[in-house]
Amino acid sequence: MMDRLCTIFDLSGKVAVVTGGGDGIGRGCCEILAIAGASVVVSDIDLGKAEAVVDSIKAKGGNAVAVKCNVLEENDLVNLIGTAVKTYGTVNVLVNNAGLGGGGRENPFKITMDYVERIYRINVFAPWRLCQLAVPEMGKSGYGSIINITSMSSIDKERNMGIYSSSKAALNHLAANLAYDFGAFGVRINNVGPGATKTSALASILTPELQERMLRKTPINRLGEVSDIAQAVLFFASPASSWISGQVIFVNGGGDQTLD
Amino acid sequence: MNLANELFDFSGKVIIITGAAGAIGSEAARQFAMFGANVALTDINEEKVKAVAARIQQETGSECLGIKADATDEDDLKHLVETVVAKFGKISGLINNVGWGKATPLWGSDTAKMVASYELNTISAYNMTRLCMPYLRKEPNASVVFSGSMVGTTPSPEFIEYSTAKAGLINMAHSMAVASGPEVRFNVVVIGSVDNGDATLEAGYDPAMLKRISDLIVMKRRGTPSDIAHAFIFLMSEAASWITGINLMVDGGGIYKSKMPQ
Repeated sequence: MMDRLCTIFDLSGKVAVVTGGGDGIGRGCCEILAIAGASVVVSDIDLGKAEAVVDSIKAKGGNAVAVKCNVLEENDLVNLIGTAVKTYGTVNVLVNNAGLGGGGRENPFKITMDYVERIYRINVFAPWRLCQLAVPEMGKSGYGSIINITSMSSIDKERNMGIYSSSKAALNHLAANLAYDFGAFGVRINNVGPGATKTSALASILTPELQERMLRKTPINRLGEVSDIAQAVLFFASPASSWISGQVIFVNGGGDQTLD
Repeated sequence: MNLANELFDFSGKVIIITGAAGAIGSEAARQFAMFGANVALTDINEEKVKAVAARIQQETGSECLGIKADATDEDDLKHLVETVVAKFGKISGLINNVGWGKATPLWGSDTAKMVASYELNTISAYNMTRLCMPYLRKEPNASVVFSGSMVGTTPSPEFIEYSTAKAGLINMAHSMAVASGPEVRFNVVVIGSVDNGDATLEAGYDPAMLKRISDLIVMKRRGTPSDIAHAFIFLMSEAASWITGINLMVDGGGIYKSKMPQ
């Protein structure tokens, strides 16, 4: 039985690159991909956090390397994919996890063009650029899967969320279209949309009252764990999903944990 | 055993699969058995489902039971659920996989044909799920997965009986999901063009059509029963324990036709 498990969810010999890997969902993705056998390039804007994740993976017998990457910096993006190729020979899995949002504080009359551009550069343009850099390597290697971390916000409608939400909707449709471009390389691209997941980012806005409202609308009556999201990423990264591309799955306990 | 293996371990679970003598149902049964589950396979074709169950049990060492049931006959379904509970003592998961449809001219159907399609593709899953619910509620991470179809999510006039029944099935699954958390999870695998062997040809396709379909699919191939079984495994597993009410499209990236035709 275990041989079979190791076949369809196994990533031994594969190389995974994760952005925003130092914390939260990104860290969870790094850890589960390493457990499944991948060598993991853990990137984060905070190199110290990435190194801590690498230490934790190595302590459990996995392979990983830390890279500082600010996804707003072109040089950092080139260096990230370059480091993966130089260190491990290729890139097979790319998890575009780094993202930024205003947590419901995007009053359309108070935000600036600089803010809007920054959100779109982080949430949409950087994932596209990393795909552009990584897909040729994936095509050469014969195995490629890209997973973008999107958000329930991409389909929700709320006040003061217009920029973050629309950037994540753009990320969904980017993936739906790129699936057609990348199919020719044998590369798949899918999005995982977390509901409210217990990370430091959520903790910064969560109140007991908000949590209670969220859970009233959640059939599986709990907030998400990082592992819930990372497990869906593992499915899309692995050969188990080899005939799936261009899709979004929402991991949200069946519900809709909006802020209002 | 590492974490990745624990997530997809089905040891001690009891999974019922309907339409289990067919290509997708039998491959799903084989994979669940390989992951350690005891599997109850049911189909209207008694001889075939018993043979498939025996073969999988021999191959995997997991206990498998082949049971004849007509999914459109409520008494058969009651007997099926009683037999499974008597044999294994519980039900951990249900794959509502049975279904079939063929190409029909849009204006060539009638009440009897429409109702027959709805009975087989939609009502059978309602009855089966209703009968299993008392047992599913008692099990941790219990879940039901439905075999949806691409024709149930897009306009499909060529399959008017089948496509409308599948659209109903998908809506039903979502309704069950919102009312049943956290006890039982409900998800749909929306299936694209899969090589089902003879069943595909019986539905009205010929080999030349199937070649044209393959060429249009992003991943440049039709699906295999194994591709679909993998999605069942994921949605039924611990790895998906916060996932309910979703449609997972397994369709090779879909069919692409250029907006700039040559």
